[in-house]
Amino acid sequence: MQTTIKGLKHWSLTLLGSAGLALTPLASAVADEEIRYSGYYENATFVRDSVGLSKFRNTMQLNAERKIGEFGLFSNVSWNAVLRGSYDGVYDLNKNEYGRNAGGPVMIENIGGGNSVPHGSGLALPNSFDEANNPNEGMIVLGEQLHDTDGGVAFGVPVRPCDVDSRGCINGYLDKDTNDLRYSEFNDRLDFIRELYVDFDYGLDNGHILSTRLGKQQVVWGRTDLFRVLDVINPVDFSRNNIYDELQDIRIPMWILKTDYRMGPGEIFDDLNLSFVWNFDRFRPHDIGQCGSPNNILDAACFFRGMNNLWENGGTVANFAGGVFATDFGPGQIGIRKAHMPAWSLSNGQFGLKLEGVYGDIGFSLNALTYRSQLPSLRGGFPGQNGFTGETAVWPGLIAFDIHFPRVNLIGGSLDYYAQGIDTVFRMEVAHTDGEEFANTLQSRLYSESDVTRFVVGADKNIFLPFLNSKRAFLFSGQLFGQKIHEHQLENRPLGKAGMPDWEENFIGTLLIKGWWMNDRLSPQILAAHDFKAEATAIAPSIEWLVSDNLKIVGGANIKVGRGAREFDDCRSCNPWDPFTAGAPGHAEGQTLGLGGYEPLGRFRAGPIGMAQKEDELQLTVRYSF
Amino acid sequence: MNITLKHFTRSVLAGSMLASLFSASVLANDALINNSFHPYKDDVPSHDGLQAGMVINQDNLAQFKDIIDPAFANFIEQGWLEVTVGETTSFDLHPGYIEASRNGLGQVSLGDSVGEINGWVAGRPFLEEPDTNDPRAGEKLAWNYKYGYNWGDSAAVAPFYWKYRDMNSGKLERTIKFNFHFLNFTGRVNHEPVPTITPNPSELFRGIYVQVLEPYDVRNTQLLIHRAQDDLKRDNSWLYLGFQRRVRRLATGQVTDAFLGSDLMIEDFEGYNGRISDMNWNYKGTRQMLMPFYNHNDLTLDAETHSDSDGYQVVAFGGQGGCFPNITWQLRKVYEVEASPVDDSHPLSKRVHFIDAQTFTIPRTVSYDRSGKLWKTFTIGQAHPDHHLPANKGTGVSIDDSFSMIDVQAMHCTTGQFKGQVDPSLSTPEMFSVQHMRATGN
Repeated sequence: MQTTIKGLKHWSLTLLGSAGLALTPLASAVADEEIRYSGYYENATFVRDSVGLSKFRNTMQLNAERKIGEFGLFSNVSWNAVLRGSYDGVYDLNKNEYGRNAGGPVMIENIGGGNSVPHGSGLALPNSFDEANNPNEGMIVLGEQLHDTDGGVAFGVPVRPCDVDSRGCINGYLDKDTNDLRYSEFNDRLDFIRELYVDFDYGLDNGHILSTRLGKQQVVWGRTDLFRVLDVINPVDFSRNNIYDELQDIRIPMWILKTDYRMGPGEIFDDLNLSFVWNFDRFRPHDIGQCGSPNNILDAACFFRGMNNLWENGGTVANFAGGVFATDFGPGQIGIRKAHMPAWSLSNGQFGLKLEGVYGDIGFSLNALTYRSQLPSLRGGFPGQNGFTGETAVWPGLIAFDIHFPRVNLIGGSLDYYAQGIDTVFRMEVAHTDGEEFANTLQSRLYSESDVTRFVVGADKNIFLPFLNSKRAFLFSGQLFGQKIHEHQLENRPLGKAGMPDWEENFIGTLLIKGWWMNDRLSPQILAAHDFKAEATAIAPSIEWLVSDNLKIVGGANIKVGRGAREFDDCRSCNPWDPFTAGAPGHAEGQTLGLGGYEPLGRFRAGPIGMAQKEDELQLTVRYSF
Repeated sequence: MNITLKHFTRSVLAGSMLASLFSASVLANDALINNSFHPYKDDVPSHDGLQAGMVINQDNLAQFKDIIDPAFANFIEQGWLEVTVGETTSFDLHPGYIEASRNGLGQVSLGDSVGEINGWVAGRPFLEEPDTNDPRAGEKLAWNYKYGYNWGDSAAVAPFYWKYRDMNSGKLERTIKFNFHFLNFTGRVNHEPVPTITPNPSELFRGIYVQVLEPYDVRNTQLLIHRAQDDLKRDNSWLYLGFQRRVRRLATGQVTDAFLGSDLMIEDFEGYNGRISDMNWNYKGTRQMLMPFYNHNDLTLDAETHSDSDGYQVVAFGGQGGCFPNITWQLRKVYEVEASPVDDSHPLSKRVHFIDAQTFTIPRTVSYDRSGKLWKTFTIGQAHPDHHLPANKGTGVSIDDSFSMIDVQAMHCTTGQFKGQVDPSLSTPEMFSVQHMRATGN
């Protein structure tokens, strides 16, 4: 394996070196050509309800591009570089919430005796934990910003940056120190080199063109906004602003070879293109944020950090024993052990094919991709210590996990169509995957695999509303996103529903209404998204003012309404250490009774909108472009 | 033998008659061609007191009011600009276009409905002078415009500067820098392949490809328009948004929408950019009028907006709010055509087009709102190709070289400064594909 990794590294370096070497003579050969520079400085200041400052991000981006034209066998040769660096002052200006002073001592709910107990003062199992290794400081209670524990499970989660407090930091995955958080692009993946690629075309004798882009880049598939049904080649940085930033700004560029065989118009199609994509970069998952930072989608990073802390150091879990007593677990018993990050090898490569074309009023694509899931999967089923006996073994239904990123295979397609009669454009994407994994409390390893079908249907229409603006039409753009988990499992157990917390079928609708005044220099819009099953809605009104060609100010809000946290089986009643954890006589080992609460699995029912119900914000962004 | 001679004599006589008929027909065709394409061959129009080099302003406007459209005359009357008169010159279109027009003589006819045409392959469809007694005369002129030589078989405006200005204060609010590319898929007369690029499965007439270069917020925006030969069909359009990095198909029905916030509707481009079937066309008469035709290289140009290695500079603007091109105007033969929208909800009640008879460009258009009040006036300056970039010499294209769209109700204008290049290598067919937008987007 090591040889393979080294081999791939050498190969990749050779490839990149070749590109670099190729650029060197190009640069000298075309020294009289002009490099075009552009860029911007941006300050984004967000204020969050009950929290205060949640973002004070200062970003500088510099773009450089050079069109070289013909070079040897190639035409349309060019290169493009995008450098980006940012400093988020929130970790210094609001350090009590998000920095080195965040968190504090926590009280863990204990409905079986008094209201709560301090962390470390729960019912101690025979093999408990040493509070010296996991002191009651610098923590919050999991989910406290959204809900009370309310009879469910919860535990203390360290929230300070990993250089201040390393507890719960998962090596190689969720382990950012203060500077990683402050200066998010300056890391060992050199994210400040946001994009760096070379384009070149090779004309074939039949008139077709091989068009290649090689380098660090974003490859965008699909036709819809906000939802990533087909647009899954690059992982996404949700830590920047949850799901609400433009994808261009939050896709994580990867080192990719993309070659298009451009056939152009033929006897049938107005345009036809076959695209091959090879993501040869080292695997990266989505950046889901870090507990203690303002944006961590689904609050998953806090769940993971708290769980890793439980595994490493042990800790107090609310309302666990008997479903009512805060319980002190020892290390190596429950929690998250580690993350298995896919190695940089050919076998972990990601490959895609897309056939895309235009046929009259219809545009279409057929897509296939094999890739590593960018979302983590929690797999149980490895040895852990029995808190009562001290025996180490594989215990069915034990809430102890490793994080994996399974291989996922995707096939799908997209379509757009302009309906003249109603002057409306329809867009559609559909994707079917196999290999995705979901939490499942009915399985002994607490996860299962399922095929998933996702789709989006969107419609765009420009409509004049003369009473508001007689010169400029408003854009109305609506989308409906749907997801079906084919091998979904959900059962009624004595104490509640158990199985897969994700909805078997769910829909999210979005609506964008955008208008323009003052020659497009003033543009208000309202964007709303509603999660039907979660019964949660996000509404984001904003107004954009182009003060000049260089200066843009955007003021807005992000408001959530509807339901927040949702409950689901939390596997307290999974009885891994039978008979000590049996809920009743005859309670089979590893079988859940369905006792549930908000944490930890309710988040999959609440979804990203429901889980952010307490994250209403006022947002001001000022960008100076040059 | 006698019989044979008689037969021979009859044959010769018949042949002579046919030949004379044929030559009469050729002469008639030549007359039509000359009248349509060379109206200034023998004589140039004149007007009392008008001479090249003079300036028309508030003081002497009254003398020239009948050779200036009323909207523009009103601008001069208010002192918003002065008009410098140039010599009337012939803007000869490319011989290939003229020859194609000759070949199409008698082959082209209007269909039963507005927007239908039969028999057109290339060139100017209708060469006859319009007749006020012909109820479809305006429609024929509209077809002549649509199938005009415009930018030739292909061309690029690269770059193309649009400036948004407050007409009261002269404040420059926004500058957008584009590249525009045009390609005729059919009706080609000059550059191979002629007359049609194949394959052309959707039977496209024309492609327009636009790239936005500046400013930053709209940088990398690309627009592709496919216009079908079938006038009754709406365009197919795609937009590549730099900030989305994705191609989106556009709904093209709202052609009265302001384009990127400018004072131009999409329907205003080049004078008229909609379907012929969207308007009722009414020929109002033939006039002699001052029109914005000039030699670019003879002007005092704008040294600030654009500079490049070949030394090309764009047309300068001045007058009220900086909304008027500093150009010269010449007296020319013009067809006045009124176009009123078929759709009652259209924001305009009518456009009055002043179509240049020789080039069939539309250098002046005056638009009226639903209540009949003057709303906008559109000027497209036409530069002679032989007095422009060296590469344009001899191309026979009347080069769109400057524009000014003035919203007189909002006292706002959008101005355009062109670097028009009639060079097929700048507008190759592969550029007019959706995939090209993806391939070049970043």
